[in-house]
Amino acid sequence: MALRKFITIIGIIAVLSIISSCFGSSEKSDNNMNSGNTSLVTPSGDIDDNSINTKDSGAASGIKKFFEYTGFSNATPGHIIMLLVGLFFIFLAIKYDYEPLLLIPIGVGILIGNIPFFQTGSINLQLGIYQEGSVMNYLYFGVIKGIYPPLIFLGIGAMTDFSSLISNPRLMLLGAAAQVGIFLTFIGALFIGFNLPEAGSIGIIGGADGPTAIYLSSKLANGGIINGIQTKNLIGPIAIAAYSYMALVPVIQPPIMKLLTSRRERLIRMKPPRSVSKVEKMIFPIVGLILTAFISPSSLPLLGMLFFGNILKESGVTKRLADTARNSLIDIVTILLGVTVGASTQADVFLNSQSILIFVLGAFSFMVATAGGIMFAKVMNLFLPEGNKINPLVGAAGVSAVPDSARVVQTQGLKEDPSNHLLMHAMAPNVSGVIGSAVAAGILISFLY
Amino acid sequence: MNIIYNLGFSLPAVFNQGVVIAIVGYCTVFSALVVLYFVFTYLSKLLNLEIRNRLRREGKDEYAAVKDLQISGDESAAISMAIYLFHELHDVESNIITIKKIERAYSPWSSKIYSLRRYPN
Repeated sequence: MALRKFITIIGIIAVLSIISSCFGSSEKSDNNMNSGNTSLVTPSGDIDDNSINTKDSGAASGIKKFFEYTGFSNATPGHIIMLLVGLFFIFLAIKYDYEPLLLIPIGVGILIGNIPFFQTGSINLQLGIYQEGSVMNYLYFGVIKGIYPPLIFLGIGAMTDFSSLISNPRLMLLGAAAQVGIFLTFIGALFIGFNLPEAGSIGIIGGADGPTAIYLSSKLANGGIINGIQTKNLIGPIAIAAYSYMALVPVIQPPIMKLLTSRRERLIRMKPPRSVSKVEKMIFPIVGLILTAFISPSSLPLLGMLFFGNILKESGVTKRLADTARNSLIDIVTILLGVTVGASTQADVFLNSQSILIFVLGAFSFMVATAGGIMFAKVMNLFLPEGNKINPLVGAAGVSAVPDSARVVQTQGLKEDPSNHLLMHAMAPNVSGVIGSAVAAGILISFLY
Repeated sequence: MNIIYNLGFSLPAVFNQGVVIAIVGYCTVFSALVVLYFVFTYLSKLLNLEIRNRLRREGKDEYAAVKDLQISGDESAAISMAIYLFHELHDVESNIITIKKIERAYSPWSSKIYSLRRYPN
């Protein structure tokens, strides 16, 4: 019984499908015949073969044109490489937690900036970051005019506690010593053929401070004529190198730290920092601003905003403004800065021998800066009495990279002695490194701009 | 040496210029932070002097004569913890335990008679 029902239903479905297919095909053939008649027969009754060809070629050309506008048609090996780089950044951020707040926006920015699209000289689809009128181009304005970095500094100032620095001012000198990376890389870049403004921009990678690197390169290596010298637009490669190495601080620094210090030195315990009064904390940003800006006025946009943010924090009467600066504002600017810097690495602009050289020089710069801080701590120890010596690991935090390099110092210190906490001591050269790199950027601008 | 650009001018001149910029720049960065170092080393001493004078004016000479007026971070952390524990964790209790009798007026709506199962007589 069930079998008969099943066969009946299958039979009905089969018959219906055969009928529908017959009618369908006959309708199609009728339509084809009709369309064929109208197209084939001209008003004079002659058969026009060209009409068919024209119609087919119109459709084909439309599809062809559509295909030309897709990313598949415009993709080059450079695009693919850059897309892989973007994915690698995202992978590093998610898998290894390397500066995810920076690497995710930059990684996604690289993807956005390297989606291939139709470009010819005359047509401006207003899509790419370098095409005038595009959304990304408007957002990129904040990078090329150096607007975002001071805003980031405002947020950094509002979230930084300078008390470790105030309590032990001699550690400030380690932050100064580590800036040797900037100037040696500057000389290195000149040596291999970059011109003066470009070399200055590349050198600042050693400051390990992304916003400072972007600010300086937007002034000195923006593709314009600086001080009579034609420069190339190196903002993208420099920013990517700076942020990449900042993210890779936990990988780059430990071997250098181990190489340059003995186990005995790594075990040095430092005196706990004294407590700092509220008055001192309030005086620091005001005096710091006036002194550093008098010495290097060109660093005013960066240092002015840094100390302004810190005054908001320490004054105690502008809590709302400080909260906005250290939370919402810095988050918004970080998103915009990360995405636009990432998107500025379009394959045709980014993938060249200069970028590779910039990455090599950037790595050198980081290593020299780390070594500079450590070696200076060792030199200081020669003059300091026993019991008041500095753990040379702390010198490595002189490269800014706040607070990653301080964290690396803490981790390395704990590896040698699980009860020796160096974090608070390392924060002092760390934040003085920020001041030092901003002063260095100002000096380079005043010399080269 | 010049592997990227043909700069159009002699490299040694630029290189020498760069070396001078680097030396002067580095010295300036160092001097800026050295100035800050001196200012904040002596600022704390200046503030201590002011505190000692104030203590003397208030007649607390024994405190004013203490060698180190600053307390370490560990000590301030211990004091903060003590204050926190004193204010936050110790409840003030009356130590009187009572059972309060609550009287309610009779109402058939809340009468137990209607809510309990009664066995048939």
